[in-house]
Amino acid sequence: MNGEITAEKGSVLFKKVTKTYSDGTRAVDRLDLEIRRGELVSLIGPSGCGKTTTLKMINRLEEPTEGTITVDGMDILSTDPVKLRRRIGYVVQEIALFPHLTVAENIGVVPNLLGWPAKKTRPRVNELLSMAGLSPEKYRFRLPDQLSGGQKQRIGVLRALASDPQVILMDEPFGALDPISRETLQNELVSLQKDLKKTIVFVTHDMGEALRISDRIVILRKGRVEQEGTPEEIQNSPKNDFVRSFIGEDRLSRMSPDDPVESIIEEPWGKAAPWESAAEVLERMEENDREFIQVVDPKSGQWLGMALLGRVRRAASAGETVLKRVNRDRKLYAGEATLRDAAEMLSDRDISIPVLDGDGHFIGVITSTALARLAVERLRSGTKEAQTA
Amino acid sequence: MMEQRPLWDLFVTYVGRNYMRILNLTGEHVMISLIAVGITVIVCVPLGIYLTRNEKAAPYIIGLANVFQTIPSLALLGFLIFVFGIGNDNAIFALFLYAMLPVIQNTYTGIRSVPKSYVQAARGMGMTDFQILTKVQLPLARPVLVAGIRVAMVWTIGTATLASAIGGGGLGRLIFSGLSSIRNEIILAGAIPATLLALFADWILKRAQDYFNPAARAVRLAAKYGPPDEIH
Repeated sequence: MNGEITAEKGSVLFKKVTKTYSDGTRAVDRLDLEIRRGELVSLIGPSGCGKTTTLKMINRLEEPTEGTITVDGMDILSTDPVKLRRRIGYVVQEIALFPHLTVAENIGVVPNLLGWPAKKTRPRVNELLSMAGLSPEKYRFRLPDQLSGGQKQRIGVLRALASDPQVILMDEPFGALDPISRETLQNELVSLQKDLKKTIVFVTHDMGEALRISDRIVILRKGRVEQEGTPEEIQNSPKNDFVRSFIGEDRLSRMSPDDPVESIIEEPWGKAAPWESAAEVLERMEENDREFIQVVDPKSGQWLGMALLGRVRRAASAGETVLKRVNRDRKLYAGEATLRDAAEMLSDRDISIPVLDGDGHFIGVITSTALARLAVERLRSGTKEAQTA
Repeated sequence: MMEQRPLWDLFVTYVGRNYMRILNLTGEHVMISLIAVGITVIVCVPLGIYLTRNEKAAPYIIGLANVFQTIPSLALLGFLIFVFGIGNDNAIFALFLYAMLPVIQNTYTGIRSVPKSYVQAARGMGMTDFQILTKVQLPLARPVLVAGIRVAMVWTIGTATLASAIGGGGLGRLIFSGLSSIRNEIILAGAIPATLLALFADWILKRAQDYFNPAARAVRLAAKYGPPDEIH
């Protein structure tokens, strides 16, 4: 074997792997990645980040354009793909239990491909079913259509474990499930993994899931590793905004009053053009039960002021345009205003604040609801920390 | 002029005197039809599978089968006299051309309608292309495939009555000789068994089609191992 490669059995190693599709898209870009034996590693990132391609290259459902991938220390390109796949467990999102086969037959697919005799397959299937808390007598002869979604994917996982492979690939396995079954299966996977110590490569787009189940998380972006680390490392020291945005909701609880306002800017429900008659605008506001509206030049995007309901009403009875009676004092500038500024302005008077860029273009509004949401998140995480401490 | 006997009386008398001939012709009819459909299945199922792997050829081959289908059956039999001369070979070949379309088309669409996720999962678990075909695609396409064979079989039994027009055997003989001698009882002696044959073939193949349905398998399994309790 290649002397450079010293990976142990049950490990997966990517060395400068690139995958370019025939249409020129580079899904994976000189990726270096090591997945050690017994580790559950999540690959996560936005769609198009190359996570599924990365996974599928391990069992050669996709072929790398450049670079080397080794499984068990062996270059996979020198292995027969069919034999390679039979050594690697595979769970897919669509579950894809074969609908014409019983539960037992589905679990036994790979053992059968490997030529196991029935007297070896049968006890193995029973053992796996019992392990997942499904009584063999009850479930062996069911067809997939007679199972719930959660049960189906439990069988999907058992099917991947059937021939006891060391390396298992899971492609968003719980993505199609309802939140409750998803969480149950995540917990089951974690406890299963404690006993089995498989090498699991787990693709997901759900950061919560990755944080819950992984030994290590690899965040991919444009086919490269953006950051990798344990769930704690990723959570405590996200490398940049991209990673922070991926940690999602949790980021809200970590915000400080001195953070810029940009993160909570919202699109307003509606805008008015400066030449609109106040009567027209009034009708719209009353229909939608709104107290104010932003007046913005639709062509240049310049913010011209905010119109409050009482003033619009007066302008309407005087037959004026809406622009006549706007308020131009309340506003914040993106890039300099902090959450504290927004909070002070809102506590003064509870009306959304328009946010402008340096040139006076309208970006969006900050509502008291958005700010309140932030405060609630902080309180919640505060109590969580207090509980765990 | 002699008093006209009722048709049923003439029919019973004719059948009573000629039942051996009717049975023989029925047997011949079944043989011609089975051979024609057998050849169709042997040729067209692999052809349909081939088309799922060479999608570009599909419109041409299916289009060609469609052309054969569109030619009026008697005309097709007539053309083929120039190729095969007169007799059963000609008839069987014509019936084969005639039956191609439903078998090719249903094989093709049946396999294509198997969700890609099953194929992908099967490949990911280490099945070869041939195993994917025999263990996943064909079993899942079976109800559609059998439906195609069913249509082909029923058409063939019907069209086979025309075989005698070009010197072939089968129940068509009785129908044509009844027509030419203006004896309705002989027409019936050919038409009734031909109709019954078609209905019977349809019924048998419908059962086969249902048998291959996964839902039907669920019922069989429940009968054998007891019903599953409700899904939760």
